[in-house]
Amino acid sequence: MATEEVRQEILKTLDEGVVEYEEDQVKEAAQRALDEGVNAYDAVMNGLAAGMEKVGNLYDQQEYFVPELLMCADALYIGLDILKPHITVEDLGDKPKGQVVIGTVQGDVHDIGKNIIKLMFEVAGFTVHDLGRDVPLEQFVEEQLRTDSEIVALSAMMTTTMMGMKKVIEMIRERNPNVAIMLGGAPVTKDTADLFGADGYAETAGNAVQEAIKMISQLRQMQA
Amino acid sequence: MTEMTPKERITKLFKKEPIDTMPIFSGQGMVTVQAIEKMGIRFAQVHTSAKYLARSAMVTAEMFDFDAVIIPYDLCNIPEALGRGVSLYDETEGILYPTVPHKWDKIEDVQIPEDFLTKGRLPMIDEAFQKLKAESEDGKFAVGSYVLGPFTMAGQVYELDLLLKGLRKDRERVLAFLGQMTDLVIKAAKHYEALGADYISIREMGSGSDLLSPRMWKDMIKPNLVRIFETLSCPTVNHICGSTDLIIEMMNECGADAISVDHKNTTAESRKKLGDDVLLFGDFDPYGLLVQGDVSNVEPVIKKCIDDGVDAVWPGCDLWPDVKKENVDAYVQTIRTYGKQASPAVGRI
Ligand code: B12
Repeated sequence: MATEEVRQEILKTLDEGVVEYEEDQVKEAAQRALDEGVNAYDAVMNGLAAGMEKVGNLYDQQEYFVPELLMCADALYIGLDILKPHITVEDLGDKPKGQVVIGTVQGDVHDIGKNIIKLMFEVAGFTVHDLGRDVPLEQFVEEQLRTDSEIVALSAMMTTTMMGMKKVIEMIRERNPNVAIMLGGAPVTKDTADLFGADGYAETAGNAVQEAIKMISQLRQMQA
Repeated sequence: MTEMTPKERITKLFKKEPIDTMPIFSGQGMVTVQAIEKMGIRFAQVHTSAKYLARSAMVTAEMFDFDAVIIPYDLCNIPEALGRGVSLYDETEGILYPTVPHKWDKIEDVQIPEDFLTKGRLPMIDEAFQKLKAESEDGKFAVGSYVLGPFTMAGQVYELDLLLKGLRKDRERVLAFLGQMTDLVIKAAKHYEALGADYISIREMGSGSDLLSPRMWKDMIKPNLVRIFETLSCPTVNHICGSTDLIIEMMNECGADAISVDHKNTTAESRKKLGDDVLLFGDFDPYGLLVQGDVSNVEPVIKKCIDDGVDAVWPGCDLWPDVKKENVDAYVQTIRTYGKQASPAVGRI
């Protein structure tokens, strides 16, 4: 076990490494966390994820823009790759973390927003299956069945492609009613999400993950 | 008051000479389902036939009394000519715009064939262009076109994520790549100029402050736009959608004849920053206003654009084809009447 002082120092290095998109710094600090016996989950949540939260704020304040955001994400992923294999089931406890299938629906290439949401899920400890952009509608159903994910998150930036979301929801419900489906993207509103029969909606990356966690606990209550 | 032909009106507007009334036109696709239905075809068919492409532009303009026709409608024709393929969704009902299926994922793989203008659908677009020119000879319409800006074009042929990160991580190579894209854009725009385009809009759509910082814009986007506008001699428009308040002055320094922004811009403020001598176009949300909105919203929104100081009321993006007829009629009607007064940069005869 690392001393509290060493732990704090490592967490700070991870945090700053993400904010400053210093991939090498993150890589070394993540390895050092393992070597010094800092809990991997602690390092992810209080180091990497804490840094990413700051990045989110910098982005909201227009200090950082999409290129910076993506670079911070790269630094974060480098740390995650090293730390994730060392996270144990006990670490996660009863926290309702799960798996997410995500993608931008068929006919739509707008994937910047989707990638940001994906990142948020990863930071929060979800396992994300990213189908990319312009995804044929059936593929969401197939991937959900294949991975047994609790959540399917759909993104659309155009009105026509938004209509495709409705079809995906119907198809998923037909095959597997126990999936939480979440919608987002500029033309989507809470009302449309309700109308299409979705379980969740989020306007921005900030509340997407909270919404997802809420949906999963509801799902688990239903199944219990 | 003598009536001008639509072409005269637009030509003079670009020269900031007095006109009779504000023209109704834009620098992005202006095709509607009403025209497509009248022709008895589906949306997916307009992208592959010179006849349909030209007709659908013409029928829309005639139907709604626009002053210009503009083609093409999709942003994939040049990427396709570079061998990146195109997904046209011919099987789907409803409106899906074409997309680029195979982007490059390594900058070193990028290759621009010398003769790309003869590839893919580009010759078809030339043919449609010639048809429109021939049919508008009497000045019935101005014929416009657009080409994506270098950064947006780069994002159409190369993975956007990699491009965005590369702007910082791989600066020298990405700058060289953007230079290559600038040459490509110049070649395409020059080609449309030679075919007789009455104006060309350069749409650097993806470069607004939703994505890039103003500093990065100045450093990596602006120099290429300057080079493009220096080279073109026909009337040009510098169009960017999304957030542009922070870069509006730099947009003006790029050398285009006019600037176009969308509804995210605070146009009244921009007008102040730019002064009255700069041609400024914008800035209503075509989807919100003409597809979703109630017809009663149209007049106040269009009037506000004019009151905020635009010289031509432009939609912020392509007209979404599925417009309500009565909304488009109201948009045209409002400009026809309210646009009789002089705008900041353009007087009235
Ligand atoms: C950049 C851009 C492009 C780029 C896309 C690059 C890419 N790989 O993504 C390019 C140039 C390629 C492009 C192309 C087109 N575009 Co475009 N584009 C935009 C633009 C300017 C910004 C979008 C963006 O990335 N914003 C930044 C991100 C971070 O925000 P976001 O996507 O909204 O995501 C946030 C939230 O929505 C939410 N969210 C998003 N997804 C999800 C999912 C879940 C599950 C949750 C919970 C939340 C969530 O969280 C995100 C982070 O906060 C918008 C205008 C605008 N300002 O929105 C137009 C816009 C989306 N485009 C539009 C159009 C029309 C087109 C084209 C059809 C043009 C054409 N003639 O071909 C083509 C589309 C081709 C196709 N078939 O897809 C229209 C759509 C109109 C409509 N309502 O239907 C818009 C709205 C412009 C307009 N005002 O008319 N475009």
